[in-house]
Amino acid sequence: MKKLSVKDLSKPIILVAFFLILTILRPSSFLTVGNLGNVLWSVSIYGVMVSGTIFVFLLGGIDLSIGTLCGLTGVTCVMTIRAFGYTPAGVIAGIAAALAVGLIAGLIHGLIITTFRVPAFLVTFATQTIYLGLSMILTNNKILDCTSPALFTSIGKNPVPIILMAVAALISWYVLRKTETGRYVYAVGGNDQAAAISGISVRKITIMAYMISGFTTAIGGIILSSMTQQGMASNGSGYEQYVIMAGVIGGISLLGGEGTVPGAIFGAMIIGLLQNGLNLMSVPSTQHGLVRGLVIIAAVGFDALQRDTKFQSWLAKRRQARAAGKSAA
Amino acid sequence: MKQQTLRRFISLGMLVALCIFFSVLSKSFLTPNNMLEIVRDAAVPGIIGVGVTYVIITSGIDLSTGATMALVAMVMANIYKYTLIPIPIMILIGIAVGIVCGVLNGLVVAKLHLPEFIGTLATMGIFRALTYIIAVKDANGTISSVAMSHSSYAILGKGFGRIYFVSIAFVVITIIGQIILKYTRFGTNLYAVGANPKAAELSGIDIAKTRIIAYIVVGFCAAIGAIFTTGRLQSTTALLGEGFEFNPIAASVIGGVSLAGGYGEIIGTFIGAIFMAALENGVLKLQMNTAYQYVIKGAIIILVVIFDAWFNSVMEKKAQEAAAGKEA
Repeated sequence: MKKLSVKDLSKPIILVAFFLILTILRPSSFLTVGNLGNVLWSVSIYGVMVSGTIFVFLLGGIDLSIGTLCGLTGVTCVMTIRAFGYTPAGVIAGIAAALAVGLIAGLIHGLIITTFRVPAFLVTFATQTIYLGLSMILTNNKILDCTSPALFTSIGKNPVPIILMAVAALISWYVLRKTETGRYVYAVGGNDQAAAISGISVRKITIMAYMISGFTTAIGGIILSSMTQQGMASNGSGYEQYVIMAGVIGGISLLGGEGTVPGAIFGAMIIGLLQNGLNLMSVPSTQHGLVRGLVIIAAVGFDALQRDTKFQSWLAKRRQARAAGKSAA
Repeated sequence: MKQQTLRRFISLGMLVALCIFFSVLSKSFLTPNNMLEIVRDAAVPGIIGVGVTYVIITSGIDLSTGATMALVAMVMANIYKYTLIPIPIMILIGIAVGIVCGVLNGLVVAKLHLPEFIGTLATMGIFRALTYIIAVKDANGTISSVAMSHSSYAILGKGFGRIYFVSIAFVVITIIGQIILKYTRFGTNLYAVGANPKAAELSGIDIAKTRIIAYIVVGFCAAIGAIFTTGRLQSTTALLGEGFEFNPIAASVIGGVSLAGGYGEIIGTFIGAIFMAALENGVLKLQMNTAYQYVIKGAIIILVVIFDAWFNSVMEKKAQEAAAGKEA
């Protein structure tokens, strides 16, 4: 059996530490079933989205469009339901339409990126603007209410989003850990040229990754529109930041080839707990960025320092010097 | 013809094509006054683009420029509102704040080894939150926009007729930026760090120092941008520059700066900034809904990026053929 190192345990320890700090600071309001349910509820969208976007991260790509795509797919879902006259059949059609939009968006990203060999950063930055524009055109810049049928509104009520997050994370974990496709993803992300030489179709894997990212974003969009019971163009914008932060806090390297689904979900939890804790301490949301930024710098910086060979050798030297000093004394 | 010269002509060609496109569609586009307006609109992203180009050449990125602008502006607004410190000193303090932001970015990226994207995303949140914390509030505690209308400050938003001071600053900073990039050791180091950091380190370049200085230049440029923006608006809010960080990046990429690092120049960014401003201006002149503007802007950026990738691959092939020819 593999020996557990401090590094493997650092994430659970941080999570437990977060729990303890928040419990001590807000004993009456934090550690209640209702509040913890709320945390999971608000984390679920990030969790679902990062379960798919992790494929893109592992390839060393990035998807900046997921925020506004989340809005566009939500708008699609709501508009379809309204067109069907708020019937359960309409809900199924709406979900299908939203998922199709997500998949098509991912396909377009993948095709552009692989065919023309352009940076994912720029392509998804441009499509981010396009999706926002499309949502605004579709909704005519209005908020579309959708408070029925129950089949739709129940998607956003506990425990459905949490179950969806768990399922998405499990499937994603299984695919990445246990299947050949998953190994290909890590291989391409680690070294795409070597992967290509060993017969992996980098193009296919890349397109697939962006489609999966689009698919989970669509699920996120459906959940979000159900939670808010409305379709709105600006729904979900800025989510790309939270998803990227969640991934990076969870140990995903944006250079590709490194990261796991449990890590990413852990990152999403940290983001959610942070938000919840700051809300409980009635810190205005405009100031959350300060704490979030410091946590990211601390978490990622700590990770990076552990990998930095110079720092490690400096640390080793210091330890040696200290040991030598002790033995001399 | 050298590749870089050719790339400059292509950027210019794209800009001319865009202008022809809009002048056919709208009569009010191709007028001298409108052209000068475009240069003014391009100035602030272009000025910040100088610093951002340095960072991108080292294969980094800076997402915190919009938030840096807001913080600089809000510090100055506080000084303006609550103290009697004269305007020139207030401006100097603003620049100092920008430089401090740059130092922080540089330390986070070069000393703590955070990936540039995530590091500057974190500092973006920090700077923005600090802006809200120090934001000037009215009696009810709600954040209000702050007027900064002193005549000796508002003059920054003016110019000689339609030749605005900010446009002049844009041209001057571009020229200085280009000279530093091409004719100083620091400029060469930027390329070396971006193209091959290991080789740069082996040849004795202090990578961390080079990267930190690049981020300091961004902070300085962002402060200059904030000063001119607030001078023109004669006010500031905590929301200043929200989402602005992508404009300088888009300007430099359209101008041919490679996000992979090691390639590009300030003149490209200059043209790219004007291209983006012309695009914005032209789409506005068509009097379309903002939603359509978003779609068109996104589509044009994708087209430019695809074209750029195609051009680079053709150039690479040519270079390889030339090398093969020499060997034979």
